[in-house]
Amino acid sequence: MKRPNHPLVQEFLDAWVYPVGFSGPGVEFRLRMTERCLPVWNGATARALKTGEADQRTPGDQWKIERALAGYALEGPQMSIKQMATQLLSIPLLMQERYIDLQRIRARQIWDEMKHGQLNADVLLRGGWITREEELMDDVRANAQDNLAYFGLTSMFAHIHPLARAAQNYFVEAIACLSIAATLQVVHDPLIRHQTRSQQLEERMHFMEGKYQLDAYALTPEEQAPVEEAFDFLLKPWATRMNAAFGGRAREMGG
Amino acid sequence: MAAPRTVIPIRIDHGACTECRMCYVVCREIDVNAVVVAPDPLHRFEIEMVRCLYPGCTACLMYCPAPGSIVETESGRSLVPPPPDVWTEDRRWARGIP
Repeated sequence: MKRPNHPLVQEFLDAWVYPVGFSGPGVEFRLRMTERCLPVWNGATARALKTGEADQRTPGDQWKIERALAGYALEGPQMSIKQMATQLLSIPLLMQERYIDLQRIRARQIWDEMKHGQLNADVLLRGGWITREEELMDDVRANAQDNLAYFGLTSMFAHIHPLARAAQNYFVEAIACLSIAATLQVVHDPLIRHQTRSQQLEERMHFMEGKYQLDAYALTPEEQAPVEEAFDFLLKPWATRMNAAFGGRAREMGG
Repeated sequence: MAAPRTVIPIRIDHGACTECRMCYVVCREIDVNAVVVAPDPLHRFEIEMVRCLYPGCTACLMYCPAPGSIVETESGRSLVPPPPDVWTEDRRWARGIP
């Protein structure tokens, strides 16, 4: 018997996942992939809540520092470089016209990710834990993250296809949306709330980009195959790690 | 698509919109082209009702991430996230294999 979804997941599904603007094979494919994603989405939501509650009970500032350092490593310059490589360059010149609006959306996401990196730097600066952003260059925690699935070349190298990226937008950004919702439900620290709330709509927009690509473009078996392969990778238990910025803890959990 | 019905004016609420361009992209893809970049100094997205088919077409609403950013002009009813009555099956664009 199918387990019920976590209430936050169900709310997300009803508001943002199930409403559709198209009918056809793309939508059917996306809903099939959604069923595969749901166990991870539910687990990630429960984990983000649990971590947020534990952080909230923890005295001192160390948990805030860890979240911000991990968030800076996850997003910001590193992610933007990866995005540039795996998204913009995944569209061959001859297909640029067909996907020109996707290219523009992806260019916008690069800016978004830079902003998210800065939000994490802002937490550290406003908390007084660093005095200048350059200090982060000396801290490996701000510069390395071990999530293979998070827009890294590791997961995308075998899938240089304009639509493969949709799997990451859909699967990973949903986790970001759900983790933010969970964090905002239980964490009251103003700096952490500011950091998460200030990126909430952008993470949802990135998710919507994936949803749109799947509905509108992933229509044929040839177009769906690279996307499904990317999902296959993302859903491997060792591929997706929740970053501490989103309620995970380094090296203690798989997807 | 459903048979044409009376068009109800909708607009973008710039107090909620993040200018992410999803509505613009979707509207262009289905060749309705009702979402435009306004020729004013802010270059914000606007909906031109001469081309918009709402409530016959609701495609843009399904991909907008910002709650409350598209509203019915007269009633002020928020259409994001889309209420169930605006994404019924007869309003979806058939998207088949080319």
